[in-house]
Amino acid sequence: MEFIQTIGLLLQRYSSFFADGVRNTLVIAAFSVLLGTLFGVFMAIARMSKIKPRKIIATVYIEFIRGTPLMVQLMFIFYGLPMVGITFPDIAWIPNFSRFAAGIVAMSMNSCAYVAEIIRSGIQAVDKGQMEAARSIGFTYGESMKMVVLPQAVKNILPAFGNEFVTVIKESSIVSVIGIGDLMFRTNDVIAVTYRSLPALAIAALIYFAMTFVSSRLIAAAERKMHHE
Amino acid sequence: MSEVIIEVKNLSKSFGSLEVLHNISTTFQRGEVVSIIGPSGGGKSTFLRCLNLLETPTSGSIFFEGTNLCGKGVDINLHRQKIGMVFQQFNLFNNMNVMKNLTAGPVKIRKMSEAEAQERALALLEKVGLADRSDAFPYQLSGGQKQRIAIVRSFLMEPDVMLFDEPTSALDPEMIGEVLGVMKNLAETGMTMIVVTHEMRFAREVSSRTIFLDQGIIAEDKPSRELFDHPENERLISFLKKVL
Repeated sequence: MEFIQTIGLLLQRYSSFFADGVRNTLVIAAFSVLLGTLFGVFMAIARMSKIKPRKIIATVYIEFIRGTPLMVQLMFIFYGLPMVGITFPDIAWIPNFSRFAAGIVAMSMNSCAYVAEIIRSGIQAVDKGQMEAARSIGFTYGESMKMVVLPQAVKNILPAFGNEFVTVIKESSIVSVIGIGDLMFRTNDVIAVTYRSLPALAIAALIYFAMTFVSSRLIAAAERKMHHE
Repeated sequence: MSEVIIEVKNLSKSFGSLEVLHNISTTFQRGEVVSIIGPSGGGKSTFLRCLNLLETPTSGSIFFEGTNLCGKGVDINLHRQKIGMVFQQFNLFNNMNVMKNLTAGPVKIRKMSEAEAQERALALLEKVGLADRSDAFPYQLSGGQKQRIAIVRSFLMEPDVMLFDEPTSALDPEMIGEVLGVMKNLAETGMTMIVVTHEMRFAREVSSRTIFLDQGIIAEDKPSRELFDHPENERLISFLKKVL
């Protein structure tokens, strides 16, 4: 009972902390998914390319990113790159821009690799006969892809893609280590001020859950709509 | 009188170190119905798939209406429009209903008007007894229905030759008849057909000529009746014993 009261109290008194954290988490996640998807599409195309060097570079990138911890990638970009003179500029009217930029770059580079694999496996899961039938009628590779393969691939891709989105929201908590004021960071602030770690963390967990739950429901609804079409 | 539509010259095809087709040469005349029979793994399907370059030959050439399809600068998409193909697994486009499956090619490639394509498609659906299924999606159809529609889809492109890759092998026995019936009607219209098949009755009765493809070569190639009544090749004799 007291626990719930404490939660209520923390929410009341430190709501601006949590709200700020949520806002920053959503900004990071949204940009990362957006950029990750954009570059992931190109990465997937390169990965399936018949041109050897492209394919090799994409494969190496994807394997390397998926095989190393996001934490290392993030630290590498934020602490490592400045050592060799590569820094993110500060922009006066956006507070903390260089941190945000590093966080978003690391998250989207990471997400890009996963999205590329999702797209590739989604396309390759479409029966080869579909492409062959389209080609045998006289459609070009591009036309066959657009008309027959991709519409079917989207149905394979969407569920995994939704998972990726949810994963990005959760994994974004890691950017707190480079001092971005995301939900996790702000939760730590609240703990530092109040020494009430358990209720504060419970609040953070609930908020994360609410965000992932809402987004996965939205994606599930989109999927259902696709299946009806 | 007769006119060569496809000429195959010294065709070889290897997958890695495995040579599937060995130096095959033959010709197909316009209006001919040719069956290709033989044991599995003998290269029948690979041979057929080489004819429209779904498989790229390792060496040799394929002349279609005088053009070497393997030549440089050949627009294969253009020629494929004239070479219909029907697959064992039907391969109807799963994301389109029957009507869209049928009209996509004529409308997008042949630049036919949507209305005309639909009209023609409907007339042919009627012929194969599926006029009421034009709004159905592939997953709602039986194998036999899918294959009849696949044949119509290929035919609607007005090809000069149609290739059939084991068109009845994936069908339940009671559905084989309906598909063979459509193919028989097609043969009677004078369509040039090359059919890889395990249906010996079809080979013998409908096709004018049968090729026995075995171990990557044409082991015997004769008018169908002759091949079935007087087989000479020893492996053909033992093959026929097994399947008849």
